[in-house]
Amino acid sequence: MTKKWLLLLIMVLTLALFAFGCAESGEPATEGQGGEEQAGEESTGEETSGGVIEIGVLAPTTGSEAYYGNDMVQSYQMAIDEINEAGGVLGNTLELFVEDDACDAAQAATAASKIISAEPDFVVGGYCSGATIPALQQFYDAGLIMLVSCANSTNITDLALEQTFMINSPGTHAVQTLSALLSSLGVTKVATIHQGDDYTKNLSDICEAQLPEAGFEIVAVEVMEKGAADVSAIVTAIRNAGAEFVYWCGYHADGSNVIKQLRQGGYEGYICCGDGSASPELITACGPDGEGVYVTSPPNVELAEGGEEYIAKYTDLYGTGPGAYSTLCYDTIYVLKEAIETAGSTDYEAVRDAIQNIEYQGLSGLIKFAENRELAVSNFIVMQIEDGAFKLIEP
Amino acid sequence: MLSAGEVILQQLMNGLILGSFYALIALGYSMVYGIIKLLNFAHGDIYMTGAFVGFFVFGILAGTVGSSWGGVILAMLAAMCVCGLLGFLIQLLAYRPLFDAPRLSLLITAIGVSLILYNTVMIITNGEYMFFQHSIPAGGLTFGNVTITWVQLVLLAITAVLMLVLSWFIGTTIWGKAMRAISLDKPTCRLMGINVNKIIGLTFFIGSALAAVAGVMSCVYYGSLHYFMGYMMGIKAFTAAVIGGIGSIPGAMLGGLLLGLLEAAGTQALGSSWKDVFAFSLLIIMLIFKPTGLLGKTEIERM
Repeated sequence: MTKKWLLLLIMVLTLALFAFGCAESGEPATEGQGGEEQAGEESTGEETSGGVIEIGVLAPTTGSEAYYGNDMVQSYQMAIDEINEAGGVLGNTLELFVEDDACDAAQAATAASKIISAEPDFVVGGYCSGATIPALQQFYDAGLIMLVSCANSTNITDLALEQTFMINSPGTHAVQTLSALLSSLGVTKVATIHQGDDYTKNLSDICEAQLPEAGFEIVAVEVMEKGAADVSAIVTAIRNAGAEFVYWCGYHADGSNVIKQLRQGGYEGYICCGDGSASPELITACGPDGEGVYVTSPPNVELAEGGEEYIAKYTDLYGTGPGAYSTLCYDTIYVLKEAIETAGSTDYEAVRDAIQNIEYQGLSGLIKFAENRELAVSNFIVMQIEDGAFKLIEP
Repeated sequence: MLSAGEVILQQLMNGLILGSFYALIALGYSMVYGIIKLLNFAHGDIYMTGAFVGFFVFGILAGTVGSSWGGVILAMLAAMCVCGLLGFLIQLLAYRPLFDAPRLSLLITAIGVSLILYNTVMIITNGEYMFFQHSIPAGGLTFGNVTITWVQLVLLAITAVLMLVLSWFIGTTIWGKAMRAISLDKPTCRLMGINVNKIIGLTFFIGSALAAVAGVMSCVYYGSLHYFMGYMMGIKAFTAAVIGGIGSIPGAMLGGLLLGLLEAAGTQALGSSWKDVFAFSLLIIMLIFKPTGLLGKTEIERM
């Protein structure tokens, strides 16, 4: 009998746990309703000020890319606070709410639905292309303008969604920069390693398509599964193929592992990482093995004009320095602000056209869109790790 | 460019190292399956937990003992104890009440335990990667263009020693005999006065401790750890246990090493995108001809 009572107790406790969980998650739901009311007010009188413009954020705040996800959210928040302090946009204050995609396609779809059900006015974010793409169609269907701050797979361009703009240069721009670096180093035999997901495979595919045209030879294309510990067999295969230059297309968390094992496995040629690895964490994680490694990177705030001021403010607010994509996110909000002001309202058509025609000089470079809603001008740079820090290289 | 001989030597070494990780984890799968016929899917997460325990202990010890082999060995011992106890507790709280339930209930419980461990570590670490920074001197033995580092040699030695000790333990000690007896016939063992539950607990302790060793070894060798590291490793190790013949201790060791070598060979021969296809195709073919695994025995179900 006692066993049955014990079982009953466990069941009651479990139910209690659920009830508790529901009570917690109930709060944001009511907040969402509040948002709806405000949105309702806005639609009745768009010219009147004092309302709230809600911006949904899709970012990986947990998982392997949590570092970037949280950095994104902080950068958005910083821009929003600045704008609100200066009187908002058309008299309205901006407000942010975040949904976590965990850099996972399945979770991104759920996160997108949650964002849509909260009825924001605009959506920003998108770090991992693999997780961003499934969400984009949903935002399109819901009639929400989406500014993709970080994800830069050309697959996003190929979706050809009329309200989706990419604030970051796509991988094709990175490979142009890479090709310039290869010429300056005088190497011809290149090996790429990707991780089999949308973003990293896309970058590797662009290398395979563009580099041979520019006179370079791709001697090996290898795949490292995400989070796989062992790449020693890949290293041996790359050495055997006679590669002089290895281009790591993946993210920094696995990148340090690849770089260390390349060096431990006796590879002595050049190593270069794609923009997924352009993080100071790469340097600490690699230690001495990281010296001399190149990175094709999105604009680096430390090297940008007005960057020092930005870093100081960011560090003051959050205790750590901004990440590689921070300025892209910061500029995203300002692009949105300028577009709303040009449009004079939050009207879908008007704002969309304003973004299409925008010309905004941000910390991340010139933001101006081509017909296909990619950046018109590449924003990539080349950096090299020297004495434990990134240094700008002119290829 | 490497010569053909150098490539073979290097890939052999790569395969052996990877194989020893698989083997150490596969042992836990095999021992537990042998004794209670449970596929303990939480085992990969015990490996992951072991890595994190090792990481945190190492962080504490690095100041006093140093961050070279001394600290690593102590961290390994600590991780073995913690994970051994964890394995024992999981067995006590989650599995023991279900020993007489249908086997599927036990299997689902194991998946549940796996999720609990996985998510707990994710919350504790905020889902971030951790980097294990040691000061073990680089270098090693050089053969032409191929270098075998001291770390690799020490890891192989640790694996070999553990396997020898385990074989001795299972083969000659009274507890080892009890384990083997229980895997043959549990009710009779109980009638013979063997404390079956205690021996099952011991099996979980040893299996989990071995997984913890693999976890700490992977920290040292690969340098980074994350909460989902146990997932793929668990599946591969489970595969290794099946190849060797699940329930068989030497089979788990052999299966692990074989899978590691096959993956290295697959990467070399067909490229990394095909390595799993290559390794697993060979395994399917092998299992068609020897369904019980390399060293597994055909089980006779008595009616």
